[in-house]
Amino acid sequence: MVLADLGESPALPPPALRDRLRDVRVIAPIVVLAYLAAGIYIVPADQQAVVVRWGKVVDSRVPPGVHWAWPSPIGRVHKLRVRETRRLTLGLDGVEPLNRSQFLSGDRNVLNIRLVVQFAISDPAAFLFRAQDVNQLVANATRGALAQVVAARHVDDLLTTEKVAVQERVQQLAEATVLRYECGVTLLGVVLDSIVPPDDVVEAFRYVAAAREDGDRIVREAESYANGVVPVARGEAAQRGEEAVAYNTQVVNAAAGDAARFTGIADEYAKTPRETATRLYLETMDEVLPKIDKTIVGADPKAVDLQFVKKP
Amino acid sequence: MTITRTYTRLALVLLAVLLVWLSTFTVSESDLVIVTLFGRPTRTSADAGLHLKWPLESVMRFDRRLMVYDPGSSEFLTKDKKNLVIGSAVCWRIVDPSRFLQTVGDVTGAEMRLHDLVWATLAAAIGRVDLSELLSVDPGRAHVQALGDQVRSAATVETERRFGVAVVDLQLKRINFPEQNKYAVFSRMRAERDRIAKEYRAKGEELAIKIRAEADRQRSQLLAEAYRDAEKLKGEGDAEAARVYGQAYGRNPQFYKFLRTLESYKKILNEKTSIILSGDSELLKLLTQGKVPDGAR
Repeated sequence: MVLADLGESPALPPPALRDRLRDVRVIAPIVVLAYLAAGIYIVPADQQAVVVRWGKVVDSRVPPGVHWAWPSPIGRVHKLRVRETRRLTLGLDGVEPLNRSQFLSGDRNVLNIRLVVQFAISDPAAFLFRAQDVNQLVANATRGALAQVVAARHVDDLLTTEKVAVQERVQQLAEATVLRYECGVTLLGVVLDSIVPPDDVVEAFRYVAAAREDGDRIVREAESYANGVVPVARGEAAQRGEEAVAYNTQVVNAAAGDAARFTGIADEYAKTPRETATRLYLETMDEVLPKIDKTIVGADPKAVDLQFVKKP
Repeated sequence: MTITRTYTRLALVLLAVLLVWLSTFTVSESDLVIVTLFGRPTRTSADAGLHLKWPLESVMRFDRRLMVYDPGSSEFLTKDKKNLVIGSAVCWRIVDPSRFLQTVGDVTGAEMRLHDLVWATLAAAIGRVDLSELLSVDPGRAHVQALGDQVRSAATVETERRFGVAVVDLQLKRINFPEQNKYAVFSRMRAERDRIAKEYRAKGEELAIKIRAEADRQRSQLLAEAYRDAEKLKGEGDAEAARVYGQAYGRNPQFYKFLRTLESYKKILNEKTSIILSGDSELLKLLTQGKVPDGAR
């Protein structure tokens, strides 16, 4: 360095100045100052810096602002976007062949799964120096967790009710693995972006969905039948009850009326039996005889020749 | 100050710088360093920072960061003779640089050894389990991770001893059936779907029949109970009526009989009835004989 600064510059200064510049006592402080000034650096608002001196981390979390550190070759500053959420998509995205996104469920069904994992740097120094390719580590940990979780579940649960549970479990397992790697990241979330049967069998899965709909529909129809039948029967039953009440009332009241009438006539009869009886008899005859065909014969009915009795 | 003196000084400074340069070395956080003297390792260092050495010693650096090796997918046979394509990811790092240097030398060499060793260990491990121990819906029966861990521990013992490399983790990230089996697998899946679809329909039918039968039963029960209650009520009415009649008529049975007979006449005698009446009868005596009863005078 000192040597370089002593080299001949293209525009030669006047001899007096040249001599002064050659004076190490003048040059050395300038060089040292310039070197030290090179150590000033700025950390932007969304970043943090890791400062290394002689290869060793001396400050792993330098906040945003203006700072100074030993410049190269003594020191080095690594700036990292620590707040940034990093995102990896596993499967089905064209980056990987299709069959790599296939997983086997516990009941040996093939499923195509696309999964998004989000993570962020939690320890910048570890992120820089503990692993060669953090993205790949996170991807592998997540994929391994997914394979493991899917291998223990029913395909129907995976496709319907268990998605959230799977996400949580995958995140849990992958997080534990990543933590073990000590590569300075933490998982923020795992999202099952897409989980579908392969194209060759997707029709069969749709058929099942349709069948489930059919089953539900059949049950709903039966329920609507039941909802129609039972209330009608209840109405009929109520009607029958009302009719019985009406009959009961009618019969009892009729009896009471008849009995009262009889009692009245019987009371009258008790006072004047003969007259009442005669009156009742004659009244009945008044009513009955006009309608009917009558033949009156002499006092001795045996002497009558019935041949003469005309038939109407 | 003469030019000569200046150059002499310069030469001294340069010599000092060179000496410092040769007798120090730095170790980065991601480095493992072997210090060698004429090619013979004298010591290793993993401490990040500035270190001293003899000027004639030289330094070899190795990356001690975690590395990932993907051996690709291969086909394995389970204990119950099922073919599986399994893809793994091996996380490894150098732990013993001098052994690493002596045996494999570089990362590519290490990956070759890792490939062979992991493949063989994995093949052996998978050959010891049934397919149902990898894929199972029974809780705690699927041992994918356990298998990975088992392979890892077996492999790392070997690699650390032989190559100075530790296998930190082994993820089984792909488990699939081989391509040539896909047709059979898909047929099985379709058949299973078909069965499940039929089951859904049959279950629907079953439930529907139950619901209908239950409704019909409720209907019959309601009507039968209503009939029972109605007839009971009617019977009570009839009984009450009979009691009332009996009570009234019982007071004068003779007169009741008379009255009832007259009622019957009204009912049984109609236009179709022919009757021959004797002139002698009580009703007509007056008509035929012109006799006034004694009491009427």
